[in-house]
Amino acid sequence: MNVGIAQGERNPNSSWLNSRGVWLTYIILLFVLHFILLSIPYITTPVAWTLTTTIHNICSFYLFHLVKGAPWETSDQGRARRFTFWEQIDNGVQWTGTRKFLQILPIILFFIASFYTKYDRTHFVINLATMLLAVVPKFPIFFGVRLFDINRY
Amino acid sequence: MAKTSAHQKNRSYTNVVYATPVSEHPSLDEVYEVTPFSEAFWTYLNYVILNIFGWFRDLLRNARIENRKGSAENNPPGFVPLYQSYESFYTRNVYQRIADCFNRPIGSVPGATLDLLERVTDDYNWSFRFTGGKVKTINLASYNYLGFANNSGPIVESVINSIKTSGLTAASTTQEFGTLTQHRKLESLLAEYLGTEDAIAFGMGFATNALNIPTLVGKGCLILSDELNHASLVLGARLSGAVIKVYKHNDMNHLERLLRESIVSGQPRTHRMWKKILIIVEGVYSMEGSLCKLPELIELKKKYRAYLYLDEAHSIGAMGLRGRGVVDYWKCDVNDVDILMGTFTKSFAAAGGYIAGKKDLIDHIRVTSHSTAYATSMSPPVVEQIVSVLNLLLDNDEEHEGRRRINQLAWNTRYFRQRLTKMGFIVYGHPHSPVVPALLYSPSKIAAFNREMLKRGVAVVTVGFPATPLVLGRVRFCLSASHTKEMLDEVLKHAEEVGDLLNMRKSKLNPKRPFHETES
Repeated sequence: MNVGIAQGERNPNSSWLNSRGVWLTYIILLFVLHFILLSIPYITTPVAWTLTTTIHNICSFYLFHLVKGAPWETSDQGRARRFTFWEQIDNGVQWTGTRKFLQILPIILFFIASFYTKYDRTHFVINLATMLLAVVPKFPIFFGVRLFDINRY
Repeated sequence: MAKTSAHQKNRSYTNVVYATPVSEHPSLDEVYEVTPFSEAFWTYLNYVILNIFGWFRDLLRNARIENRKGSAENNPPGFVPLYQSYESFYTRNVYQRIADCFNRPIGSVPGATLDLLERVTDDYNWSFRFTGGKVKTINLASYNYLGFANNSGPIVESVINSIKTSGLTAASTTQEFGTLTQHRKLESLLAEYLGTEDAIAFGMGFATNALNIPTLVGKGCLILSDELNHASLVLGARLSGAVIKVYKHNDMNHLERLLRESIVSGQPRTHRMWKKILIIVEGVYSMEGSLCKLPELIELKKKYRAYLYLDEAHSIGAMGLRGRGVVDYWKCDVNDVDILMGTFTKSFAAAGGYIAGKKDLIDHIRVTSHSTAYATSMSPPVVEQIVSVLNLLLDNDEEHEGRRRINQLAWNTRYFRQRLTKMGFIVYGHPHSPVVPALLYSPSKIAAFNREMLKRGVAVVTVGFPATPLVLGRVRFCLSASHTKEMLDEVLKHAEEVGDLLNMRKSKLNPKRPFHETES
């Protein structure tokens, strides 16, 4: 809704993850996903945990690191169009509370999934791969980096 | 003259003793109730579901399984696309679903009641068709604070006569041939009304801010602006080239900290002294319904030798014992505020803006303003409208039109806010501001409240993201002096019904009570 924008915030994408209750909602929705997977009869608990971690990590990689720009017209004259959502959070300031929360979450999920899968080799490899996919692009060294020019423009 | 006046009036509709609200001490009782976690959670879930369906439908549209209803760019091969289709994701998938709540064509003058043209949609809000009927509603959506929006009456007669004498426009900029005697008369009346030395009027309110802040500050200056300042102030500040620092809304401690840090460290990189420091605030913030804390601001400004720019777009005419704005409300000295700015769009039922202050300041603006050099001056019938309203408001007699309207608005504000809060709605803002936002939180409730109230014959404005923060969608009631007590009671009864339907009355500070118990 671009009607009647009264305030001067250039890109609301940078601040909505700091709103009240987002982190807890994120965790609750993750568990809701897990319970949905658990309720499918042929999926055992270890498989459910690995599926949860995999789906979460792949979706978060897509939404945070592949999609660029914001889903509405921002008033910053297109400055955010080249940046992914992760880079837009808090206007690029590193190591804020939200960023730390989002970096730690896949790691904690990895620990929980490893525990529930009893450290089985196949599950370990899958979980490790997706965890790296979710955590490594969030390092500050990769801010604004586009490997092999993929997704540059 | 008497500061508080408690009259016993025999009016046809109310026998209640009322007095214009006067604060003896700067009133710090603005309430912002903390968002309950459950409301935030369901709002996020709402957005997640909208997003999931949005991505799904976009997938169908891109695969050409579904018809693309919005306009799309036809990219010829070899050309870089002009637009990102992701930018209109929100418009396509969230806004379009509830588009019938916004931009409704009106069929009558927007006074206390409003006729809306009835329209239906056959394809889910992508296109509308008029049925030819009209919906009569009580109008709580217009910024008609003093009730001067009408198309008949003595003011309208004088406006029409002025078209016959002065024409529709001067067709020239203010500095060339565009200043008429009417403009000078308006400016001197305005200066008398506000209590300043001089004033200058412009044709457009947004342009007044955007084009005049650059004449006041430039490179090497510092602007401290409130978080919730209007887009025109933000644009003016950015155009000026000064360094902008934003402080949390109405947080005087944060402002003082920023002032001290900036003065100590000076300009960025060179660390030289700032040429000027300007604090930009609004009188009444229209999204929150809050007032600026003027006495504390003036104290801070004097202590740190900064200048104060007060934008009274919503508060001129609507606040204060004599309707002279927030300066009158807080009983401060007008000479303490360096630059008083306001608009004629809200309480005066006209168009345009003004800046008032010391004569030196106004002379400087007359010469250097972008608006006086390039923009057409205010059109004569509009000037006549404002002059007529000003004459009414300058009249200090309690019985006459101007003061009666100011008192009526103040009474309406207090009455409506009191009953709404007691009924359990979460209401933001200052208890004496005529803008009343009640929180709805989620986008679906925004649409539902709007449609349900329309069914019951009340026109309201509901706003959501991105005009407000993500979780804090709200309905904003704008009170008017032309509303009678019966109209307000009817609106409150309907609001009670709809509030129960949508489960909105969940305030913890004011537990919900039925309508008939809230008469205090």
